[in-house]
Amino acid sequence: MRGAVLAIGIGIVTVVLVAIGTIWPIPSAIYFAGSGNGNVLRAPSAPEDAIQNLGIRIRLHQLPAAYNSLANKAEFTESDFDQDVTGFYTSLRTQATLESVDAQPLHQSDDQADMRVRFHWITVLGPYDDTRDIQVVRNGNRWQVDWPLVRRPSVPAQVIPVNYLRWDVIYSGSTDEWGSQNVAGPNVRIVDMRPVNRAEGVYVLGELLNNDVVPAWVDVRATLVGKDGNILGREDSFDMISHRLLPKQVTPFRIHFPNVDLSQVASIRMHPESILISASADPVVEILNQKYNVQPIASLTGQLSDQSGQTVNFAHVLSTFYDSNGNVVWVSDRYIGRALLPQSPVDFTVAVPEDLARKISSERTIVATYSPKGVEL
Amino acid sequence: MSLVRCLLLAGSALVASPFLLAQSLSMNLPARVAAGSAFSVPTSGSGPGTLTIVGPGQALRRNVQLGSAVALAAGVLYNAGEYVAILSDGSDSQIGLFEVTAAQQPSTLSFLAEPSRLPVDLQNGISGTVYLFDVYHNLIVSPMPVSFDLSASSGPSQTRTVTTRYGVGWTRMNSAPKEGSAHFVAHAGDVSSTRVIDEVPGDPCNLSMTATPDGVKAKLQTAPVRDCSGNPVPDGTVVTFTASYNGMQSTVDVPLKKDIAQVEMPVPHGATISVASGVVAGNQIRWSGQ
Amino acid sequence: MKLPLKSYDTNQQLFFAYHYLHDWWNPWNVKWFTGFSQTTYPPLPQQWTAILAHIVGLQYAYMLVQFVAILLLAVGMYRFAAIWVNERAASFASLAVVLLGSESFLIYNAGQLATTWEAALYVLALPYLYEWLRYGGWRPFVKAVVLFAATCSAHDVIIIFGTAFFTFPLIALAIMEREQGEEKTTGGAVVARAVAVAIIAAAAIAIVLLPYWIDLFRYPVTQTPIPHASRANYLLTPFWGTNYFLIPWGALMLALPFIVWRGAHVRRLVPLMLGFWACFLVGLGGTTPVALWLLHRAFYVLTFERVAYWAELLSLPILGLLCSELVARFRMKAVVPLVVLAAITCGLPIAWANYQPTNSINLDVGPVAEWLNRGGHDNYRYFTLGFGNNISRLSIETNANTVDGEWYSDRRLPELMKYGGGSLDNSKYFVPGGLDALRAILHHADRYGLKWVFVHDPWYDPLLHFAGWRQVDQLEYGAIQVWSKEAVPPAHPMVFGVKPPAWQGIMWGILPVGSSILAFLLVFIPDKRRQIGASEDVGATDETIVPERMAS
Repeated sequence: MRGAVLAIGIGIVTVVLVAIGTIWPIPSAIYFAGSGNGNVLRAPSAPEDAIQNLGIRIRLHQLPAAYNSLANKAEFTESDFDQDVTGFYTSLRTQATLESVDAQPLHQSDDQADMRVRFHWITVLGPYDDTRDIQVVRNGNRWQVDWPLVRRPSVPAQVIPVNYLRWDVIYSGSTDEWGSQNVAGPNVRIVDMRPVNRAEGVYVLGELLNNDVVPAWVDVRATLVGKDGNILGREDSFDMISHRLLPKQVTPFRIHFPNVDLSQVASIRMHPESILISASADPVVEILNQKYNVQPIASLTGQLSDQSGQTVNFAHVLSTFYDSNGNVVWVSDRYIGRALLPQSPVDFTVAVPEDLARKISSERTIVATYSPKGVEL
Repeated sequence: MSLVRCLLLAGSALVASPFLLAQSLSMNLPARVAAGSAFSVPTSGSGPGTLTIVGPGQALRRNVQLGSAVALAAGVLYNAGEYVAILSDGSDSQIGLFEVTAAQQPSTLSFLAEPSRLPVDLQNGISGTVYLFDVYHNLIVSPMPVSFDLSASSGPSQTRTVTTRYGVGWTRMNSAPKEGSAHFVAHAGDVSSTRVIDEVPGDPCNLSMTATPDGVKAKLQTAPVRDCSGNPVPDGTVVTFTASYNGMQSTVDVPLKKDIAQVEMPVPHGATISVASGVVAGNQIRWSGQ
Repeated sequence: MKLPLKSYDTNQQLFFAYHYLHDWWNPWNVKWFTGFSQTTYPPLPQQWTAILAHIVGLQYAYMLVQFVAILLLAVGMYRFAAIWVNERAASFASLAVVLLGSESFLIYNAGQLATTWEAALYVLALPYLYEWLRYGGWRPFVKAVVLFAATCSAHDVIIIFGTAFFTFPLIALAIMEREQGEEKTTGGAVVARAVAVAIIAAAAIAIVLLPYWIDLFRYPVTQTPIPHASRANYLLTPFWGTNYFLIPWGALMLALPFIVWRGAHVRRLVPLMLGFWACFLVGLGGTTPVALWLLHRAFYVLTFERVAYWAELLSLPILGLLCSELVARFRMKAVVPLVVLAAITCGLPIAWANYQPTNSINLDVGPVAEWLNRGGHDNYRYFTLGFGNNISRLSIETNANTVDGEWYSDRRLPELMKYGGGSLDNSKYFVPGGLDALRAILHHADRYGLKWVFVHDPWYDPLLHFAGWRQVDQLEYGAIQVWSKEAVPPAHPMVFGVKPPAWQGIMWGILPVGSSILAFLLVFIPDKRRQIGASEDVGATDETIVPERMAS
């Protein structure tokens, strides 16, 4: 009898412990179940629950279940929904992992709620947010999301003539005689440079010009020298620069030295690097309707429009901000989540530190692009 | 006597010291011979002996009949530098030094021309450096005349003649006012070497554009872009169009194609359109939609 | 034939063995993380692999060492099970351990050579421990102590985290049966012997693995925990539930109710069953909160597939009992299904390893090694992206050093310690920590002389492109892209942490292997013949004795 009690007790305790671990999962379980807010689906008895449940399903790539949970699924196909969530073409979005979803109610009645939903994605190029206004409707005693579908952009059938302008480089071979001529590297020049002291450390801001007639692959390294002659740090611009520069093109750069104060710095040695590369002059991307906003959040907004016939899969917006004297006060950037299709504008927003917002008088923006070889539409 | 010679002599003397007391042997070495040339070494004494010659990268040993001249054929000694000769008959020896110099006839020249590409009309922008070598790849250190000739596709060519010092001759040249490939030739004796210098246009000059309506957009187009010498700026050079309006602006970087840059962009009425390339600014247009 | 070589950690084991093969006395290995000390990983199986590699080559040496672990485990399980059940049931337990799902999983899927070795040596030690607790005497004491030291030389986890599950039941049994048999003892004596053996064994372990402890105390685990899927909730993530529960347990799951039921009903099996149950709960990883409650921060260091393996080992004596009874009662009608279930249980992890390969990347790293070894490319450091566990194999074949590696316990590069990712190679699976580490290391390429990145997964291309790297070559018909960064200075020696001094290298080269040789020699000293196993027939419950079973 005691044995039976013990065995049954062990069984019950085991079941209870598993139930506890499932209903209130520990952090590591949440991480593997989809991270962020966890993946424990709740009864959608409130608009927030419906949003979170949708986020969990997207995070776990359970897109059919996510689609079936929508109130307006009859208005579009599951494929439309999949493509809206994961991106229509190879882009940052197709490689992104949804980390968390934050829902903020804008308006709510008994049967309907308007939510501002921030989807926080993690990508190989860093995190980025996608905010959508979503309506949640009540069906009986459960709430369902009315998904604001962004349809696949329709590019009108057209022929865009492209006379492929590109440079190819042939370097001298290793078997050539000593002293034989080789092609010279591109002539690049730093046209502006300014160190800025901030709480996160010292930033070296500036602009680099390709002063040559050939395309260049560029980078800028900077060395901070202390007052005692010691090297305080040596860093490069990493991705805060457009590494590919066509002739007479200018790129901003920003180099960050964490844990250094400008008062420690006696001098800064700049090392612009450049090498000659094979390159194409395409694509051409227009940056339209750039508007600098001080309020409510300091930012630069605008649109990117691909003027070429090819799809730009990855785009990186780099903005230089100047004060009224034309001095560079900040360089900021933003990766674009979606691919740029020909003639189809895509919105962008570049954030600016609030403390610099009032100092900014003008800006200049460029776009760096990358399209993997062999990517088809 | 150079330090090297002293050291060689001292070293050789040390090696041959057991025999130095006997002086019946002798040989008559030339002080200087050209690399690869034939020469003979008269000897005195009698009976068989050996002649050993040691130099930079070379060593040879010959059995000789003492009292007669030892002939060294052409091409036997070819590396320029100091050589040591040791004549020995087994019980006695004689040592001597001589120098092998590079042949006076250049066979190859290494020509370093920098840069491979530069803007037009640049004073002393091109440098040429020549190293002269004989047929055995010895650097010819004796002074030699070298001429440099820079001929552009248009305009007169430039010629300079210099004399090498310690085997090296160099000069500086100006780039031509017109763009194109220039042939940079170095001559020395019967040999020459050619390099190609790309003389490329400089910064755009008098950059200007026009704007015409094209549906809802404005078609912006530059005049053919040229530098201050009138050379067309190469295709691919980026021209930036900027339209500013109501606190907003639109920009686009457009590469030149066939000397002009053109783009269609939405520009509202009243906008100011400007054009620039690198650090060179062009004209501005107030867009009225016409 | 070479299936174990495809398992996940095999290449890492071979990489460690390769270092011992070429530099037995110097545990400092510069090929990973700009340099790390192999004294951070108990060396026994790798050192034996290195020794045997002189005769049969590295790969066959690995297989041979793994095979020896299985043989030792079968012997050890027989002796361990014989403490609890009769010899016939113990024989079944011994047979079952060879076909155990977890064993198969560890060999063919996880490649945890060290875990199988430590388990084998540990269960070999336990009968001597029990004999010492119950009867005293110098022979079982010495044998137990030396075998514990050898166990720790193979791996320390079972000693540190598994001892409670295995030894507390033995202590309880010794106390419960202190009055039985001719040699009686007291509860106090049992406890005193347990304390004595713990102290002496701890001292022996401390000496044998001294360089390891020095390193551990100098650098306690401070890096951000690296996620491991065995800490997931297996119900919320069915894939990991399949991988870490269904596959390793296999048909043994069917016996769980019997194990608990019989374990609860037979008095002398109760401690074993409770030890099994506690181990089972902890082995469920993040499915229950038990492991986190018990282990606290250690929960984020330990991986739980090995705890599940221990639970299965603990269940085997009672499983052997079940098999014994079924075969006795139903003969061939029981034998056939048992054989089928055993075969399925053993085969399932092998099939799973092929269906969901942990090393899914079938990649020939030879061309990469050749590329690195020529033209001065090995003057710089490199790392790979999307190579899977081939990075260890590449490290064996190339002269060049990498900033990455697969042994996380002794990586001291700040970029790798801070963010909680696994290896850089598979950083995309560790979101966001892995990607943060990847960006940080790319940012500091100059610092490490890091000039080459070999990419077998274009997912990473945008980052490399925008961070200023250029594709400069391709290998394997374009399957592998070589990316490079300009103006990176050549790599120079860097030491993060402390290189072990020469005396530690000598200790490391002698004591672990020496402890195992000593243990094998001591085992051959004859034991005093006494009945240490089940004196009662545990085939029946205390409450109901079934005559037919007695007859069998």
